[in-house]
Amino acid sequence: MGLISGMFMGFLFGIALMAGLREMMRYRGRKRITKAADIKLLSSLNRDDLIKICGENLPEWISFPVFEQVKWMNKQLNKIWPFVADAAEAVIKESVEPLLEEYRPPGITSLKFSKLSLGTVAPKIEGIRVQSLKQGQIIMDIDLRWGGDPDISLAVEAALVASIPIQLKDLQVFTVVRAIFQLADEIPCISAVVIALLAEPKPRIDYTLKAVGGSLTAIPGLSDMIDDTVNSIITDMLQWPHRIVVPIGGIPVDTSELELKPVGKVTVTVMKANELKNKELIGKSDPYVVVYVRPLFKVKTKVIENNLNPVWNQTFELIAEDKETQSLIVEVFDEDIGQDKRLGIAKLPLAELEADTAKENELRLLPSLDMLKIKDKKDRGTVTIQVSYHEFNKEEQLAALEDEKKTLEARKKLKEDGVIGSTMDALDDAASIVGSGVGMVGAGIGTGVGLVGSGLGAGAGIVGSGFGAVGSGLTKAGKFMGFGGSKRSGSTTPVNSIQENEGAKPLQT
Amino acid sequence: MGFFSTVFGLVGFGVGISSGLVIGYYLFVYFQTCDVKDPIVRRLVEHDSENLHGLLPEIPFWVKNPDYDRMDWLNRFIQVMWPYLDKAICKTAKNIASPIIAEQIPKYKIESVEFESLTLGSLPPTFQGMKVYLTEEKELIMEPFLKWAGNPNITVAVKAYGLKATVQVVDLQIFAQPRITLKPLVPSFPCFANIFVSLMEKPYVDFGLKLFGADLMSIPGLYRFVQELIKDQVANMYLWPNTLDVQILDPTKAMQKPVGILHVKVLRATKLRKKDLLGGSDPYVKLKLTESKAPSKKTAVKHNNLSPEWNEEFSIVVKDPETQALELIVYDWEKVGKHDKMGMNVVPLKELPTDEAKVMTLDLLKNMDPNDVQNDKVRGQIEVELTYKPFKEEDMPHNTENLGAVQKAPEGTPSGGGLLVVIVHEAQDVEGKHHTNPYVRINFKGEERKTKQLKKSRDPRWEEEFSFTLEEPPTKERMHVEVCSTSSRIGLLHPKETLGYVDIILADVVTNKRMNEKFHLIDSKNGRLLIELQWRAS
Repeated sequence: MGLISGMFMGFLFGIALMAGLREMMRYRGRKRITKAADIKLLSSLNRDDLIKICGENLPEWISFPVFEQVKWMNKQLNKIWPFVADAAEAVIKESVEPLLEEYRPPGITSLKFSKLSLGTVAPKIEGIRVQSLKQGQIIMDIDLRWGGDPDISLAVEAALVASIPIQLKDLQVFTVVRAIFQLADEIPCISAVVIALLAEPKPRIDYTLKAVGGSLTAIPGLSDMIDDTVNSIITDMLQWPHRIVVPIGGIPVDTSELELKPVGKVTVTVMKANELKNKELIGKSDPYVVVYVRPLFKVKTKVIENNLNPVWNQTFELIAEDKETQSLIVEVFDEDIGQDKRLGIAKLPLAELEADTAKENELRLLPSLDMLKIKDKKDRGTVTIQVSYHEFNKEEQLAALEDEKKTLEARKKLKEDGVIGSTMDALDDAASIVGSGVGMVGAGIGTGVGLVGSGLGAGAGIVGSGFGAVGSGLTKAGKFMGFGGSKRSGSTTPVNSIQENEGAKPLQT
Repeated sequence: MGFFSTVFGLVGFGVGISSGLVIGYYLFVYFQTCDVKDPIVRRLVEHDSENLHGLLPEIPFWVKNPDYDRMDWLNRFIQVMWPYLDKAICKTAKNIASPIIAEQIPKYKIESVEFESLTLGSLPPTFQGMKVYLTEEKELIMEPFLKWAGNPNITVAVKAYGLKATVQVVDLQIFAQPRITLKPLVPSFPCFANIFVSLMEKPYVDFGLKLFGADLMSIPGLYRFVQELIKDQVANMYLWPNTLDVQILDPTKAMQKPVGILHVKVLRATKLRKKDLLGGSDPYVKLKLTESKAPSKKTAVKHNNLSPEWNEEFSIVVKDPETQALELIVYDWEKVGKHDKMGMNVVPLKELPTDEAKVMTLDLLKNMDPNDVQNDKVRGQIEVELTYKPFKEEDMPHNTENLGAVQKAPEGTPSGGGLLVVIVHEAQDVEGKHHTNPYVRINFKGEERKTKQLKKSRDPRWEEEFSFTLEEPPTKERMHVEVCSTSSRIGLLHPKETLGYVDIILADVVTNKRMNEKFHLIDSKNGRLLIELQWRAS
């Protein structure tokens, strides 16, 4: 009796224990899961959520800007800045100098940092926004503002003038940096980072240039040239869609997805211009047109002298890398002795183009693309172009990529040989040489031959500028370049091969 | 009779309870699913007020406290990255664990141990706020509040004697507030030498541990016990002031402290090539270490001499003998215009023997490019005697462990006295009426010391160190520190100006040994001066 009742009691007790354990398990499990869900929920709150929790009167220190504030990071940045500045100086020097060299405008033979110190004011991160628009990618936008007091001196060497140190002062950088992280399954989980400056809002980089122990007017147009160089570097290297791809962590990853690739071909026929402004005192302007998508690949038409309604009818092909954000830039110049004057500039966003249909566009010329810099409303005439856009298929894309590489290499070579002053020169077509005659060497391109290391000194320089005055085939490249004697005769050959066919596409696609 | 029935009753109870437990286990626990489900996270708007009350204790710190910053952007970042991190971490963990397991199981007669499943779940760690502290020292302090309430599923299956047992860890929750200190800050990337991590409070840990599907942590009392155990273990190791140190850079190297001295004796040059049109050249030698910011040293100019004898001695501080090199350039002095370079050469310091004089005769070259044809020309030779003396170990400051610690006074200080060290770090918002080219003047017991002058700077940084050897502790003295500015132009109305001053009572320094304080300047609008004072008693 005792045995049975004992067994029965024990049995019940055991089952009850287990039932109790199960209840406990369930209870605790539920509790943990609720907590997990709560914490997950609280990890990203928006305004409405908080109002729901706290009621209408939120604490004053809470705000929800689009770009989330990072006060803590700014505090730390301020503190660590002197050390970062010290460490960064060497790195910047190493990485930026070759860049300056590549984008160096014609007319300057050497552009180097002679002094570089980043100053005491740290950049400020106004905010950070993180989004993920594509599987396996995180996009981080950092709103960066730097009103710094860096002490940067550039040693500029131009032909005719010995090295002049130029000081960059009152640097102000307002920009949104976009970093795209490509995720991977291996530690550190990021296989590559893409860095670019967002085009919208447009990066603002302001500075004043000051010549140390001299005046900037010693070289006319120098400050414009440096502006141009800085601008080209930024728009052509960093500004979205252009980007820098940095592979990380030794994981062999195919980053070609992330790189900017040619996606299409823009065929532009520069037809004519109407009612251009006259910039010359005697006679009329001698207009020509420069067309480009990227400033690294500029093409230009022949010069039509003494005409305010010129007709060119020349066709070029240009490569587009990102149809959504890139634009076709059309600049009209007046060819002049010394520096060519810009008669106007116009922009045609590629996004407006339809695939494979030629369309005529009449564009109004503006003094500048930067709306803030436009001060007058004067009519500058129009330029008419016919544009068609062709999207590449895979094979064409590869071919275009190859071509682009070749062109760049060829240019680099030309540059090394001293034929063109800079990779930035617009490639000329033969017409301008023929037109100007005068036995001028390879006009636009040839003029890039500076006094690079020729050591002829000022005397030769004067002779050089004398030459310059005679030449009417001078392009922008010839702004204040003399001819470097020894190299001059040989410089025509490689250029002519490109210039052979009139109205051709200097940039084969 | 009563005795037997009691015994039977007990035996019956024993049998009953075990069978009851087994049946109960199969009835209630066995069929419980062991899968880990994603918790359903509803949007906050859909919550009712009762749920919201449950949420209140978890409200992030940045909502409650103004000194915490929101880090939702980082949370979003981690959330997107989490699936990738999860895979990577689990893979690494498996790779590390499997060889260890393979090595250990033969000892315990276990057939196999393997991960049946290993995943960290879908819920990433989140930051509920970030607080930073600003100090005057060279360090960064931050305190993120980290909460990870995850739903990992870590199941380990152990097979032994033909039986299989599974241990499963679920619902791991860890809340911690680590203090991360980066110090000291150094002028080379990544700009700090050490990371110190320590926990400010005992962390909160919770999890479910399922053995054969039954959650052991649900047994009343056991959970609390285990939690306390873990907390204490962690606390013993990392609770403040215990820290976890991770060294990133070697601080002595990163700080670029001098490690030795190079004595250079420029003896003579021979057969220099003539540069001047009239007469011989006027050579002098410029000495410099590569990668050094110190100004270069020059010998005297020997006029009209193509085989000059200098016999001049110089000592140069070396910071890194592995990479630095001595650069010798011979120039031709000119009264007017640029001095012409007559030739140069470079001696890498690693080629030099230590503590031993070595006389070297070097060919002068146009540049260091070995392929340049112009280097074939004979430009003459230069003879130098080089001695590299690295500092002895004992001379080197042993403050790598604690840079804030005060060093001992050097030998030779009078007993009872000591060394008073003043380090002028920086100033902020100093402004003169006419010019702001600030330098600091220290007046102490009639002695005057000056820092170098910085041009046009409202927030100058000097980082200069001065020391005064004293007979006795300066308990009654004051130190007069003044920020001055002199005009860069000569002969103007305002050649000199005081930007502000402060009198520091030194008794505090003697009792505290070290003070690093920002002083508000007197006679200045808003100027502040950061000065560090140390008293090194002998």
